[in-house]
Amino acid sequence: MTAAVMTDRPAAYTPPAQYKLSTAGLLRSEWTKLWSLRSTWIVLLCAVVFSAGLGAIIASSVPDDQAIGGAASAIDFSMAGIALASVFIAVLGILTVTGEYSTGSIRSTMSAAPKRLSVLWAKAAVYGAVVAVLFGAMVFLTFFLTQAIFSGTGLGGVSLSDDGVLRALLGYTAMIVYLALLALGIGAILRNSAGSIGFYIGVIMILPQLATLLPWNWVTDVTPYAPGNVPNTLLMVDPAGATLSVGESWLWMGIWLVVTYGLAGVLLKRRDV
Amino acid sequence: MIEIEHLTKRYGKKTAVDDLTFAVKPGVVTGFLGPNGAGKSTTMRAVVGLDTPTSGLARVNGKHYSEFRSPLTEVGALLEAKSVHAGRSAYKHLLALARTHGIPKRRVTEVIDLVGLHEVAGKRVGGFSLGMGQRLGIAVALLGDPAVLILDEPVNGLDPDGVKWIRLLLKGLAAEGRTVFLSSHLMSELAQTAEHLVVIGQGRLLADTTVDAFVSGNGQARVRVVSPDAARLAEHLAGPGISVSSPERSVLEVTGTEAAVVGQTAAAHGLVLHELRTDRGSLEDAFMQLTADAVEYRQTTEGANR
Ligand SMILES: Nc1ncnc2c1ncn2[C@@H]1O[C@H](COP(=O)(O)OP(=O)(O)OP(=O)(O)O)[C@@H](O)[C@H]1O
Ligand SMILES: [Mg+2]
Repeated sequence: MTAAVMTDRPAAYTPPAQYKLSTAGLLRSEWTKLWSLRSTWIVLLCAVVFSAGLGAIIASSVPDDQAIGGAASAIDFSMAGIALASVFIAVLGILTVTGEYSTGSIRSTMSAAPKRLSVLWAKAAVYGAVVAVLFGAMVFLTFFLTQAIFSGTGLGGVSLSDDGVLRALLGYTAMIVYLALLALGIGAILRNSAGSIGFYIGVIMILPQLATLLPWNWVTDVTPYAPGNVPNTLLMVDPAGATLSVGESWLWMGIWLVVTYGLAGVLLKRRDV
Repeated sequence: MIEIEHLTKRYGKKTAVDDLTFAVKPGVVTGFLGPNGAGKSTTMRAVVGLDTPTSGLARVNGKHYSEFRSPLTEVGALLEAKSVHAGRSAYKHLLALARTHGIPKRRVTEVIDLVGLHEVAGKRVGGFSLGMGQRLGIAVALLGDPAVLILDEPVNGLDPDGVKWIRLLLKGLAAEGRTVFLSSHLMSELAQTAEHLVVIGQGRLLADTTVDAFVSGNGQARVRVVSPDAARLAEHLAGPGISVSSPERSVLEVTGTEAAVVGQTAAAHGLVLHELRTDRGSLEDAFMQLTADAVEYRQTTEGANR
């Protein structure tokens, strides 16, 4: 603590040069984070069990007199569980972001990647990919499972090569990935678990349905464009009667994601962590 | 090297940091001192880019933190609040951070061993004690083997063994030429670790000096004399700038002069001395004296005594 020590300062320290922040690194990091939480395993397991299980239960309990209508009805019945599983997927998407804020781990995350935006993209990419792979498989598994149950009834004998069937099944996969990404973006905007889940269930899922009960015609005209409704056309074996065409459906999914992630990105840059 | 230039940070109406300017140099441990709410944590968060300054800037080695291509090897930070997901294990938390920079697993195990968390590395962090959480935070800070370390109250929650360990660790890291910047409320704690001091109060700079200069500058040295001839000695010592008081019979406390002068005066007049020593004002006194006007949350003892 003397002047002698002060002048005796050691040569400047050079940190290791081989480590660099990278996009690949951020993706691997988000992958590690996702799978190192027990909640991920539990929620995904629930989603998988629900989608296949509920599909199977519904399929086996359809009364024979309703077992008519061919491919469209067959897919509606068998995918009922997938639609419900999307709530689990959305909640987990929200938690991948809000969980970081509620526990404070976001501070570690953002000090490792201070440009911040790349973290949001990495989170969305990893979660979106996991959901796409998992539900890409689940949708087809559930389809074949329920077809086995339906065999011999009016709902059986539907083939992937039938008109619109493959597109509808891929539509279910696209919908669930879209909702997962939408929910994750909402989490990034609101930062709060309860608030984001409440917003998702209340505003994205329920509000457009309730709104159709209102006595004004214009409400029914706009509800198909609500963020939670835009994928609906993709789920149809025969989308001819839908307000949005298949192309418009994709377009609006894109618009809502751009709006959500645009807002999330701007807020992420501007707000303190 | 950390440079803070005219840093101001407001949260709504509350000014947490007010036009703060100082630099933290490499090679020595620099302490960051200030009463509760002084703005220490806010300043540290601004350095690692978590809080955006209202005005002014914080730079590390000449760059804004977000410009670094490998932030973890440039700056290692331990921030005030727990920055870990309670449901994740210590190992996975470190691994996730390491992966962003391509830091190998080997380094993760290395820092876990270094901070003594080997036994519990696989356990969920939610069950960690304050001290274990703090050790994990230190492991995070060391992960990238960084050139600059920013530690917000690192000894908080550590046992005496841990306190001693981190003191040596930080001195060692500084001796390697790194910049080490740590905050504390405890002057006595910092005096044992730090060589340089930055003191703030209510967001403003109060002192930027070496520990030695701080102590001698703020706590006034006092010479204590015990002599059977105290009264006569007091008469001989009296002079301009010198004040003599006698808290007990045959004890004198002299300020404004040195022990050597007192001894010589006594010898010159043939007075017997039983004791002669210099009392440095305590570090805590010096700190409190300096921040007396800048304490934000002042407690009273009245309620407690009722
Ligand atoms: N995110 C925030 N929002 C609003 N006010 C804040 C925020 N962070 C800090 N403050 C306020 O800014 C002031 C400085 O806080 P800071 O945490 O930097 O002090 P500190 O020196 O670290 O205190 P301590 O010694 O208690 O840790 C305090 O008055 C605090 O209430
Ligand atoms: Mg603090």
